Amino acid sequence: MSSESPADPGWISARPTRAVEVLERLVSFPFLLARHRDLVSTSVRRGLEARFQGTLFGWVWPLVQPLFLFAVYYFIFTKLLHQRIPDLPAGEESALGVYMFVGLLTWSGFAEATLHGTNVIVENGNLIKKLTFPSELLPLNVTLVAQVTQVFGLLAFVLLCLFSPIWPAPGPGLLWVPVLLLLQGLFTFGLALFLSTLQVFLRDTLQFVGILLTLWMFATPIFWVPELTPPEALDPYRWLFDGNPIYHLVCAWRGALMGDVLIPGRVPPIHAVSVAGIPHAVLVFALWALLAYVLGYTFFVLSQRRFADEV
Amino acid sequence: MSTGDRYALEVEGLGKAYRMYPGPLRRVLEGLSFGRYRGHHEFWALRGVELCMRPGSSLGLCGANGAGKSTLLKILAGTTAPTEGRYRVRGRVASLLELGAGFHADFTGRANIVMNGVMMGFTRREIEAKMDSIVDFAELGEFIDEPVRTYSSGMGLRLGFSIAVAVDPEVLIVDEVFAVGDMYFQKKCVDKIYAFKRANKTILFCSHSLYDVRQMCDEALWLDHGRPMAQGDSVSVTNEYSAFQRHHIGAGEVTKDQFPPSPRAAGRSAEALPRILDARIYRLGADEECYRYATGDSFEIRVWWENPRPLETPIHLGIGFMRQDLTTCGGAGTQLSGFELLGTRGCTVLRVPEVPLLSGHFLVPVILLDEGGVHRYQEFLMSESLVVRTNTREVGLFRLDTSWENRDLPLPARSSPSGGAR
Repeated sequence: MSSESPADPGWISARPTRAVEVLERLVSFPFLLARHRDLVSTSVRRGLEARFQGTLFGWVWPLVQPLFLFAVYYFIFTKLLHQRIPDLPAGEESALGVYMFVGLLTWSGFAEATLHGTNVIVENGNLIKKLTFPSELLPLNVTLVAQVTQVFGLLAFVLLCLFSPIWPAPGPGLLWVPVLLLLQGLFTFGLALFLSTLQVFLRDTLQFVGILLTLWMFATPIFWVPELTPPEALDPYRWLFDGNPIYHLVCAWRGALMGDVLIPGRVPPIHAVSVAGIPHAVLVFALWALLAYVLGYTFFVLSQRRFADEV
Repeated sequence: MSTGDRYALEVEGLGKAYRMYPGPLRRVLEGLSFGRYRGHHEFWALRGVELCMRPGSSLGLCGANGAGKSTLLKILAGTTAPTEGRYRVRGRVASLLELGAGFHADFTGRANIVMNGVMMGFTRREIEAKMDSIVDFAELGEFIDEPVRTYSSGMGLRLGFSIAVAVDPEVLIVDEVFAVGDMYFQKKCVDKIYAFKRANKTILFCSHSLYDVRQMCDEALWLDHGRPMAQGDSVSVTNEYSAFQRHHIGAGEVTKDQFPPSPRAAGRSAEALPRILDARIYRLGADEECYRYATGDSFEIRVWWENPRPLETPIHLGIGFMRQDLTTCGGAGTQLSGFELLGTRGCTVLRVPEVPLLSGHFLVPVILLDEGGVHRYQEFLMSESLVVRTNTREVGLFRLDTSWENRDLPLPARSSPSGGAR
């Protein structure tokens, strides 16, 4: 496998990381995770606690933030801009609000981890320089912290549906939730690995990512429904959805949480909210997630040995 | 197994170059050119280091700031990769490279112990099991349950060192961090390091205190500008280093950490500062330089000094006798005796008739102090330590002036309980 390993085990030298070793790291990541599970759980807890420690409302904040944002956007798009879904049956008039909420929940989970993850290696330069631990756990930590926050939002949504008439409680679609969380985590983790590595060598990355995320958010149907636009106006931009991993992710989340709520046979149908569409969306997103993980982790592993010198 | 297996640590031709980029643009161009363009120049922080350490041995690193000591420790601790050469460590490595590295200021001492422990690869359960011994060793009292931001730097050291030694490593790497500990904790650290050596563990240690290097290490490595200058037993290497330092101080090349200028003298050239030129031990009243005496012998310590501006920087001399475990057994100071050092240069002699010290090796630090006896201009390390032999069977540190006799006296009446309580 490697020329010097069998003869002199344990030597650490200056030779560059081999392709085989990169592959080994990619495949054995779950084992790394298992070995350091206590580090992962402790730092996720620490990350969450650190965020709200000393605040008066503590754990209320992760619930309040998405709700507040949702209220603002809902007001702008439905009250000021008069966007609405026509011909909704009784009991489902708030479809557009729920549509936005689910989209925003997914988006903020992803965007928060990506933005914060971009800076995570540079930010923790002191740890990288002074302690020996697997540094890929830093972007992972950021991803997991954002996901826990997202799960809080999910819980709030489910509870709201159960105890209020706003929206019918989600049904078997909820079974997709673990799969979606896993895939979203994989995608975000891969992207964070890539961007955090880039940020080590090029500090402009963070600025760039900030702008990119804003563009990306408006390019993704979070606050608008593409099916409400006439098809001939939409068709030139079809590639924008098909090539956008987050669009597929958001479709799957909406299908899972909202279910088949819209009138069957209605024209035009809203693709984003359909249980039947989930497997396809999940499959497309899974490929994206795998790609992000492989590329991001490879870039990370190849550059890792220089982190301590550059941060 | 091969012969190399006996070593706890092997280092072959180790070197580290840092890439220095003039700006971010060069870095981008270099990255985009895939090796065709080179936008950096290399700075070799360390080069050509060869080491072999057996289990139970200890190595001290000395050298000026920027000599590559920390770089070497960082490579061996595994936080940064070598640029050339290779190394191999057997067993678990614990490193204390910086005070409070990895501590989260808002969390309590206990929470940080857990966090630091899991970062070293332990499980929570293992850390919980070690928790009591760590807390006991750190002796932080109530503070262990307070946020770390309320700690002083000395308390941070206590916590950090306690964690590093509690993980029971085979190789312990300690960068210069002891300086902030109080005397009591320093003593505890020294004891712990001795205990480690007895347990056949390997210690790498970096310090500006040549006493510490001599005391705690069998071997020493002196680095200068990243290159090894001398390597071998700690006494001869520290001698060479201090001789080099003396030469450089004499030549006016003074680095801050070895020769800190006093606040009053700040901004002034190094030549204007007082300094010790040399110090040696002679037989009392004779010109025979000698460092080996028997208890009861007499000797004198001659100190040659220079003080270019005696009116601005009045000086005092302090001389101590320090046993190997860093117990100061005695000392003398000109400011304590009301003795004055006048003029721009001179030779001051401390007479020690009939030395009462019992057998042992003693370091004799000669310290040049300011007029208040607070600021140290210089600590001079003599090339040899003082060896005292005792030909009798006396015990202890000193020969006490005692005598025995027999007397015919009645047994005293036992004092009453009330009288005893009062």
